[in-house]
Amino acid sequence: MGQIMEQMPIVVDALNIGFLQTLKLFFVTLIGAFPLGLVIAFGSMSRFGPLKYFSKFVVWIIRGTPLMIQLLIIYYFPGLVLHTPIWGGGESGRFLAAAFSFVLNYACYFSEIYRGGIQGVPIGQEEAGLVLGMTRRQIFFKITLLQMIKRIVPPMSNEIITLVKDTSLARIIALQEIIWAGQAFMKGSHGISGAIWPLFFTAVYYLIFNGILTLLLGRLERRLDYFR
Amino acid sequence: MKKLVVFMLTMVMVFSLTACGGSDDKSDSGSDGGASSGTESGADSGSGTSDGSDLEYVKDKGTLVVGITDFEPMDYKGDGDEWIGFDADMAKAFAESIGVEAEFVEIDWDNKIMELDGKTIDCVWNGMTLTDEVTSAMECSNAYCNNAQVVIVPASEADKYQDTDSLSDLSFAVEAGSAGEAAVAALELEYTPVKAQSDALMEVAAGTSSAAVIDSLMAAAMVGEGTGYADLTYTCGLNDEEYGVGFRKGSDLAKALNDYFATAYADGSMMECAETYGVQAAIIEQ
Repeated sequence: MGQIMEQMPIVVDALNIGFLQTLKLFFVTLIGAFPLGLVIAFGSMSRFGPLKYFSKFVVWIIRGTPLMIQLLIIYYFPGLVLHTPIWGGGESGRFLAAAFSFVLNYACYFSEIYRGGIQGVPIGQEEAGLVLGMTRRQIFFKITLLQMIKRIVPPMSNEIITLVKDTSLARIIALQEIIWAGQAFMKGSHGISGAIWPLFFTAVYYLIFNGILTLLLGRLERRLDYFR
Repeated sequence: MKKLVVFMLTMVMVFSLTACGGSDDKSDSGSDGGASSGTESGADSGSGTSDGSDLEYVKDKGTLVVGITDFEPMDYKGDGDEWIGFDADMAKAFAESIGVEAEFVEIDWDNKIMELDGKTIDCVWNGMTLTDEVTSAMECSNAYCNNAQVVIVPASEADKYQDTDSLSDLSFAVEAGSAGEAAVAALELEYTPVKAQSDALMEVAAGTSSAAVIDSLMAAAMVGEGTGYADLTYTCGLNDEEYGVGFRKGSDLAKALNDYFATAYADGSMMECAETYGVQAAIIEQ
């Protein structure tokens, strides 16, 4: 126990750096996947056949394959097969490749949630808008969108919390997020070798961060409670 | 709404290139790289590097990207932020000798060959044992350092397991694809492959495996009195082996490094570097 207390400051420093990468990947994924998911949702609801089936095809591919394989393909494929390592070998390249994979992956999941939210708004709402002489655009932004947002908060919360933990998959392409940082101590890092507890200690970071997220998302849900 | 549709179609186009790239032939996929480049300024132009000299490719870039893992005493971070160690220092000196700068990148050891072939790194220089798998997939330098695989057991049971004949009732944890796995497989011992040598140590510490096999250099640094695994110790060695540096298959960098090793050994700078990190006894004459 005494040894752990001694190692604590060094370990916490290293884990903080790792967790910063985790957070960066988390926020970049959200910022990218929120709008992209909407685009894909429109694609799969489109009345233009090819676009509709294409969007559904993309969603099928992305949801049907493991994110870990997608990370490996997106990072290594350009260099291995096309002989053009577009991402580069450095830390920033690994981050970009990871962010690209995560945005694409989560956008596909989000798109299905959006679609459910949009199609869950009663058709009468749209008809009422048409009767009032609103354009399709007005109907979407003024009537459907807000009701959709209210409906999708619970399923989106689920995905967002899963995303926090999924970021650890990025270590497969050697993105040095918090699990990587914790595992490094098992082998030897920052002068500490053979310490197993930092790896388990990373769970505390996830738990606290997800606790905060749960509170915020719960508050958002209550804020949107003014119409049912 | 029209703008949205246009944007949507554009995104879909980008996806189609990414998603279907796998089955395209090369001339087609060329546009794929074009569509999504712009993400990394250091990206290479692509054409012309596949058949040219790897040495020239690295010289053009100005950096030798060295794939490593955190592995004391070969590649590790001291007090500062800089990578040091016998391998790290030699890599810096070699890079300087060909007029480029060494850049160190931590990699997932399982993916080292993909990293090399995908040109995200230029060499693997991290106390890598020259096994058949390694030499068939990479262009390797001459061996520069001796090593052995040793058996790790709890210190309380060490007396029972001092030679290879006594090992048959142990269940081993070994790093997948490592020289240690090859050694226990050759002895027909029961074993579980795990992701890293450090995971193998954790298995023994946690009691989920009764023994592990890891590198002797690593064992010396990581188990026994005053380390994180004070209750473990190492007993007999299973086989002798040698470390080398791996480059892309067919790369002329391997020859350049062999020449450099010969020079550095002759002028004493290699031994001097080895003494700094306490590995002088293991160095092989070049």
